Order: sequence, then structure tokens, then C-alpha cells
Amino acid sequence: MSLLEAKGIVRSFGGVHAVAGVDVAIAQGEFLSIIGPNGAGKTTLFNLLSGHDVPDRGSVRFAGREITGWAPERIAGLGLARTYQHGRVLGNLSVRDNILVGAHHRLRAARPRLPGLGALAELVTALIHPPSVVREEAALADEVARIAALFGDRLTPRLEQPAYSLSYANRRRVEIARALALHPRLLLLDEPTAGMNESETAEMTTIIGGLKAEGHTILLIEHKLDLVMRLSDRVIAMDDGQIIAEGPPEAVRANPAVIEAYLGHRELGGEAVA
Amino acid sequence: MGSWLDYTINGLIIGNIYALVAVGLALIFGVSHLINFAHGSVYAVGAYVGWACFTYLHLPLPLTALAVIIVCGGLGIAIERIGLRPLAGAPRIAPLLATIGISLVLDQLLQIAFTPDPRALPSPLPNWRISLGGGTIGALDLLIAATGLVSAGVLYFFLRFTKLGWAVRATAQDRDAARQMGVDTDAVNRAVFAIASALGGLSGLLVGMYFNHIDPAMSFQATLKGVVAQVIGGMGNVPGAIAGSLLLGLTESYGVALFGSSYRNLFSFVLLLLILVLRPNGLFASARVTPPEPMTGTFVAPSRVLRIPPWAVGLALAAAVVLPLLPNIAYMLQVMTNAWLMAMLAISLTLVAGTLGQVSLGHAALLLLGAYASALLALDSGWPIWASVPAAGVLTSVIGTALAAPAFRLRSHYVSIATLGIGEIVSLVILNWESLTRGPMGVTNIPPLAIGKLELDSPQAAYWASLAVLVVLALLQSRLLRSHLGRTFRAIRDDDVAARAYGVSLDRYKGIGFAFAGFGAGVSGAIAAHLYSYINNETFTSTVSITALTMVILGGMGNLLGAIVGAVALTALPEMFRGTAEYRMLIYGVVLLLIRFRPQGVLGTV
Amino acid sequence: MSTELLRLEGIDTFYGPVQVHFGLSLSVRAGQIVSLLGGNASGKSTTMKVILGLLRPRAGRVSFDGRDITGLPTHQVIRQGIGSVPEARRLFGAMTVRENLLMGAFARSDRLVIARDLERMLELFPRVRQRLENRAGTLSGGEQQMVAMARALMGRPRLICMDEPTMGLSPLFVDRVLELIQAVNREGVTVFMVEQNASLALQIAHYAYVLQTGRIILQGEAGEMARNPKIRDAYLGGPDAKATAA
Repeated sequence: MSLLEAKGIVRSFGGVHAVAGVDVAIAQGEFLSIIGPNGAGKTTLFNLLSGHDVPDRGSVRFAGREITGWAPERIAGLGLARTYQHGRVLGNLSVRDNILVGAHHRLRAARPRLPGLGALAELVTALIHPPSVVREEAALADEVARIAALFGDRLTPRLEQPAYSLSYANRRRVEIARALALHPRLLLLDEPTAGMNESETAEMTTIIGGLKAEGHTILLIEHKLDLVMRLSDRVIAMDDGQIIAEGPPEAVRANPAVIEAYLGHRELGGEAVA
Repeated sequence: MGSWLDYTINGLIIGNIYALVAVGLALIFGVSHLINFAHGSVYAVGAYVGWACFTYLHLPLPLTALAVIIVCGGLGIAIERIGLRPLAGAPRIAPLLATIGISLVLDQLLQIAFTPDPRALPSPLPNWRISLGGGTIGALDLLIAATGLVSAGVLYFFLRFTKLGWAVRATAQDRDAARQMGVDTDAVNRAVFAIASALGGLSGLLVGMYFNHIDPAMSFQATLKGVVAQVIGGMGNVPGAIAGSLLLGLTESYGVALFGSSYRNLFSFVLLLLILVLRPNGLFASARVTPPEPMTGTFVAPSRVLRIPPWAVGLALAAAVVLPLLPNIAYMLQVMTNAWLMAMLAISLTLVAGTLGQVSLGHAALLLLGAYASALLALDSGWPIWASVPAAGVLTSVIGTALAAPAFRLRSHYVSIATLGIGEIVSLVILNWESLTRGPMGVTNIPPLAIGKLELDSPQAAYWASLAVLVVLALLQSRLLRSHLGRTFRAIRDDDVAARAYGVSLDRYKGIGFAFAGFGAGVSGAIAAHLYSYINNETFTSTVSITALTMVILGGMGNLLGAIVGAVALTALPEMFRGTAEYRMLIYGVVLLLIRFRPQGVLGTV
Repeated sequence: MSTELLRLEGIDTFYGPVQVHFGLSLSVRAGQIVSLLGGNASGKSTTMKVILGLLRPRAGRVSFDGRDITGLPTHQVIRQGIGSVPEARRLFGAMTVRENLLMGAFARSDRLVIARDLERMLELFPRVRQRLENRAGTLSGGEQQMVAMARALMGRPRLICMDEPTMGLSPLFVDRVLELIQAVNREGVTVFMVEQNASLALQIAHYAYVLQTGRIILQGEAGEMARNPKIRDAYLGGPDAKATAA
């Protein structure tokens, strides 16, 4: 059974179909990439899957639940984490706090489950700061260090710096680290290498490859075909809000419709390449 | 009871006056996405210029109107130049605060020049009235209606058929694109402020004549009414502002007809809140349009926080503790006790406005709730003071959070408008709920602070008690800030979309933040009630809310120590210069204007 | 005669503490179509903002036709003879197409000539004529792109700056827009365009620059660039697309 399954989802903005009837399914442990030109509807699709936006029609199932119309915080609670195309790090928070926010829904000691009085209990617990919370915080601190270490020495020395002071590439890394802190069952990555140069892209490719090897289920939007080809089990190509090709990476890349829409239509610089 | 037609005519006339204010606010919001809180002050200036022209220069009405238009138009240009232009790249909250600062300065200058006493502004028009069905219309009514209609017509012609009008419309839709067409958007701003302020001033003159009464306090009410009308019609929507104004005028007029005049303002604020909750884009916006984001990005200027070493804090605290032991210090102690009470309010506000990013303009209402709760528990239910004060904190926390809850789903400017309205509603309900609150009489003979039999009625005891409560509240808040809640609050402030994507429920955490802040503010109000022994619904007005915000900004948004420093500085310093109350507000206004040089405050935002 | 019309020298720009451009230099010759290529967040759009005066560089110099225009407010940059087709079109959605076109001529005061130019634009963009009285917000993406181009041309610019003119357009419209850019250029207007899709841009450009994280990493005649495999590495990212197609 699929971990995530979206059926016939449609979303229009002022008469323009940004997503026009798309079916997507991703299996546990699968690495699925979505490619397509700017404006093809990829990010809108992400927003619909993660609850940032609500589809006009169609349904989304995740982890065995019907989640259409759910608020993003509830979907996150089921184990869906995402990053953003242009980055949404929390600028005034330190790198450490950014990553810890990712672990928010996993807090147990700090967020006692009391029906009806949860919020009050949470406030009182925060003020009392009991040993159970101290232990939980220590465990999370270790985990933050582990996650940061995934990115070599990019984040570890900067854990206490505010996110606004980071370079663009480092902000992208913080976002992925934050997503990992959620212990996601499904990871949505929106152009994780945007704004990175070749060597940084290669580094990120290795990191994402490592996540795949660990068994993460990943849905990736990416323009850099090299990365897509190397990592994907399956690729979906979108254009104009619709899926124009789907299948193994090589097959999608060779699909004439994909070349037309994405890789540059007409003869693609024809003689230029020859 | 007058006829319904009379009330209808009255409502439309008042609506017309509101429209002259609201249209200006809408024009300004359209091109600059700024709620100009100084607009009401321009309106008041218009009324006083008119008064001066009639009284000293004996000018006829047309020349007086011309003078009002010129002076207020010029004032508008000055406001744009001082309040808006230098803050172009600053966080969006900065120009909003600057206009509040300008408003405080203008209002105080008016008070200093003309005294706070009301004056008569007799209409020079003939005193006839035409009977019309069951009602009557006078010359002044017709003049107001005509001014409204002519202004709307001229404005329509200007926007539609003049080059500058096109530039205004283009700028309102897309400022950067307009600049790329060769539009000097600074000039557009200037023109819009001039036109809006001229209309606002004219409105002030007409209102003064209509009620034959002007006073400096008319400024704030006008801003409020203009903002309410604009929210009804949709922010930045000029025809919407006119329709919203007429609707507001009629609602108030019928409300007064049904329930009496003390309910006039209550109706407008309840209407405001209903619109904000049900149709935050205004009555005329189409249903599924994403709401405009007047303030994207964070409220908080990035800064390096000035870390105060713990020994320095300890030293300052020790000095504060031993202060009452000095001789001849009674007056100083009174001032400092007030400073501690204001500091409780300021740390409460810095949590909500700074850490959580919800800039509340109605925080003084929490003081009122706390003060009334403790006073009434002590007087009517015979509770001991040691129990009534914390109970008042809890009650304020619960009621305040419930009242603020409708604002949880709003963002940025809308939060400020909503909390402003909620604050006014609290004050007006206290005024009108006579059976519980004793209405306009206020609550007298509130017993002094006491713990059991031990009365804390000496200045020293009151001082120590307030200081002790402040220290406890500050320690609790500092614990809260270091817990996961501090991180979660700041995540919501920085980017609520990203926060939600990681499982943070906005309702829950805004609720927790407001509840904690409400407790501290409620306790502060409760202690104040027992110190003052008399309170009424105007003991803590919106001016106190603005004062607290000034303190918070001065110290650095979200900065706990900063809020205390800000409160002490702005409470105690004016006393040292022996400033009268008038000059004190002037100082607050200037402080708000100076934030452009250090938007992160003295100790830095956190 | 290929004189230099636009020149950027040693530009450093920052958004807050984050540096976007590192000593960026480039030049645009009169009469040419020059393309600035690069991936997301490479600093392409920021380059446009610097030229148009929407963002002030911390160091460096922008000159147009030999005059220093660094730090000039945008409306004055436009009055020097520069037209802009912003990213995502940025039409005035609540105004009609006609009003949008006339806004393009805002900096001019020759009313009669403006009326003639409007007619000329409608000949160049016949599709726009049918939508003349519609509100611009109701147009499709392709139609909006045409209005945006016509609007910029209404200012009679010597240089027209286009930010991602093909973004989000269907292939049919992409072709049309590229042809129109060439037509405009043939009429003597110099074109500087920022583009993410290199193969498209290189089809019509004379000269191209590749921008990566704020630095020019490659430049040359468009024909040569198209043969350069490094380009695809930079942001197509994939191996040689022709080989794939084959």
C-alpha cells in the first residue's frame, strides 16, 4: 500500500489551473522525483500535499488516513516534513533552535497529554522544568548534534548563530536538518540544491543519497537532472499542472513530451549540441 | 424619541464625516500599506485651525476651509517625510509606530497650545432646518453631505482622468512595477498624504461645527472610527471606505436610538470585531482571495543582544531593594512603585508583541480587568487581598485570552487593530455594565494591599510588594523563555507558515502566550487598584497601551530586561525633569520617532 | 558599430548580511540581445534590480550610454531610456489592458505620438487588441507577457530589460515570445534578458553570461556557449540533452 496517495487533485487560482487533476502515489521507502519547468505546478502540488493549501477537488491519503483539508500542523504530526523552494528558516532563531522546532511534535515530557488541559499543563511544565524535561532536552541536544554532523562542518560550528546570518546554501541545509528532526515518515524536498554551486550540489547529492540509503521515503522537486537521475527510483514530469510522463528515470528523460516541455523544446539548441 | 428618519439622516451625516477620514486612510493604506495612526491628529489640527480662523481672523467659512486644507495638506506631506520615507526598508511595524509617535506629538502640541479644555466651534451657517417627512435637515447637514459627495466626485475624477491619479492607482496595485514605468512613487506618496490629510482636516472642521465642540481628545476617536470604517470596506479600498463609513454611521445612530448614547462606540467596535473575524478582507472582497499581507517578514529587527552580566542585574536589584531605606524618599518611592507596576505590564506586552509577534494595542484592557476583578472580589465578595490579587491575575488571564482569541487567526496590522478594538470594548462594557461595575461612578474605597492582618499601606511596603511581585513574574517569564515555549513562540513570530508545518498549532501557543501575559498584567492592574483605592473605566486607557508599547520598543522587542529598563526609564525619567503629564506624552512620541535610528531598541530584540 | 550601451562594473550587493553579488561585471552592446543565464538564487533577478535602481549595490558602478546611473531612483533610470518587463509580468491587474499600455508611456508627454505608438503595439501584438478593454488580471499568462512587453515598449526605450520572459508559459507562447523579442530587437531596441532556460535563451541571444552564486563563471558568443557542455552542468544539470533525445 502506498504511504501517500493523491487522487485527481485540482487547484486553480483565478481561473488558471495550477494543478489540473494529478494522481501521485509514493510507496514506503521509495525515492520519487518531480521535474518540470517553472510554473508547472510542482510547488503548488507540494502545498496541497502538506496542507498549506486545500485542493478544489480530489483527495489525499497519508499513512492510512484521509488527510484532505487537514491543517499542516496535523499532517506534520503524522510524520510529513517538508522544505521550501525559497527557504523558510526562522531568521531570528539560532540554527540549534531551528532544528529543535523540527522536533516539536515529538516532544513528550514537555507536552503532557492531558485531554482538555493540555495547554495549561504544557505551560506549567515549562515553568516547573521537571527532570523528565531536562532529560528530554539533553537527548534532543545530542540528536541536534548528530543531525548537524550529517552536513560535515557546515552547521556544527554555527549552531548558536542566528539563521539570518547564514549563507543561502547553509540555510537550505538548516531546513533539511529541521525536517530530519521531525523523524519524518515522508520527506518532501523542494529544490534542495537551488542556489548551490557544483561542489555544494555534489555534497548535497551525497547527503540525500545517504538519507535514501537509511530508508527514508523522499519526494523531491529538483531541476538538476543529474541529481534526479542518480537518486530516483521513479520520476514524474509535470507541465501546465498535469503529469506528462511517469516512470523510471531513463525512460522519462527520453520521453519526447518531457524534452519538449522541459529540456527545451524544438531542437533544443539543435546543432549547438551536435 | 426622535423619528427613525431623523436617526437615518443623522447616521448618514455622521457616516459622511467618517468617510472623509476613512477615504484618506484608505488612500494612504493603498499606496503605502500603512495604517496612518496620525490621521486623527491631522483631523484634530483641522478643527483647531478652523477654530483659530473663526475666532482670531474672523474669516468666512470658505476661506477657513481653504486654510484648513492648506495647513493639513502640508502637515500630511510632513508626516510622509518624517514618518514613512526614512523607514522604507525597515520592518513594517516601524512606520506604524512612527505614525503613533507623530500622533502623540501632535496631540500634545495641541494640548499645550490650546489646553485640554473643550472649546465651542459655532457654525457660521444660518440656523434654518427643512422638514422632510418625519425628520428635519439643516444647512450644516446639507453642507456635510455636499462636501462628502463633492469630495468623492473629485477623487473619482482625479484617480480616473489625471496622470497623477493613474500613478496613484498603479502604485497602489504594484509599487515596484509602477516605478519601473517611470512613476516617482515618493511623489505619489506625498500627493496621497497631502490629499488624505486635507480631507481629514476638512472633516475635523465639519465635525467641530456639527457638535459645536472640539477638544484634543477627538483625535484618537477619529483614527479609530476611520480604521473601523476602512476595515468594514476592506483595507485600501476607497469606495469600500465610503460604504463602510455610511454603514458605521447608520449602525451607531440606530444603536444610540435603541440603547442610548453611551453605547455608540461599543457598537462600532463590536462591528469591527465581527468583520475581522468573519470577513477579514472587508464586506466587499470576493470570498476566496488570499488576504493581503500588509506586513510580511518579521516584526523584529535582527540585532545583537546586549548581554547584561548577572552580577550587574543583581547589583541593580540590590540597589532597588535598599532604595526605601534612604531618607526623604517618599515621592521617589511612589514614582518607582508606578515604574514596577508599568514594568509588569511591559514584560507582559513584550512577551506578546516581541516574543510572539502579536503587536497588541489594547494591553491596558488587561490592567482594567485585573483592577476591577480584585477590587470587586475584595469589596463585593469579601475576599482577602492576598487571595483577590492572584485570583484577579487568573481571571484576567482567562477573560483576556478568550477576548483575544478571535484575533489569533489574524496577522500583522490586523492583530493590532483587533486588539485595539477589544481594548475599547472592555472599557465600554465596564462603563455600561453598571450592576456589576458601578458604571461611570467607578469603584471607590478599595481596601489597601494587605497580607492577612499586615497592611502594606506605607509607601515602603507598597514599593517592596510591587518589586517582589515584579521579580517573581520576571523570573517565571525568563524560565518560560528558556523552555521550548520560548522557542515555539519565536518560531510563530518569525514564520507562522513554517511553524505550522512542523506541528505548531497557532491557536494553542498564542493562547498559552496570551494566558501567561494576561496573568502578569492582571496582577499589575490588581495591585494598582489597591494602591489607588479608586478606579473607573478610564483609569487605564489606550494611552497606557501605547505607553507600554513604547517601553517595550525602547528596551528591545521580546527583551525581558529591556522591558523593565524601558518601563523604569519612561516612568522615572520624566519625573526627574519634573515634566508635567503633557510633556511626558510628548517624550513618548519622540521616543517612538527615534526608533528609526535603533529599531532593535536599547538592549536589542530577542 | 557595436558601442556599449549598458555596463556593470565590480558590483557587490547584499540582502542584509548575505552577499548576493561578488564583483559582478558585464556589458551589453547596443543593438544586441544579451542573455544572463543562471539557476535559482544565482543572483539573476537581483542583477535586474541593481540595473533598474530598485536595489542599491554596496560597491560598483552601473552606467548607461556612458552616464553613471548607480543609485539613481528607478523612475529616473527609466527616463534615461530603459524599459522593464518584470519577472512574473507584474501587470496592474485591476486596470484595463489599455490603461496598462498607457502606463508604459507614463514618463512621456507627447500625447499624439503615444496614441500612434499604441496603435503600432496593437499591430505588433494583434492578440492584445482583442483584450484591450479587459482587466489585465483576467488575461492568460501568455497574453500578460505580451502586454508586459508592449507596455515596456510604450516608453520608447533604447534598452529593454526582461526578467524571465518565458517563465510559466506554454511551449506555444514561448515560441511566440522569442520571435517577438527578436522582432523588437530588429527594430533597433537592445535587449538584456535574464533567463533560466539556457537552450531557449541561446537560440535568440547574440551574447550570453552565466551567473552562479553571484559571480560570472562563463561568457561568450551565444553560438559558442550553446556548444559548451559547462552550461548544462551549471543549471540544466543533466548530461547532454541531445544525446538523450536521440
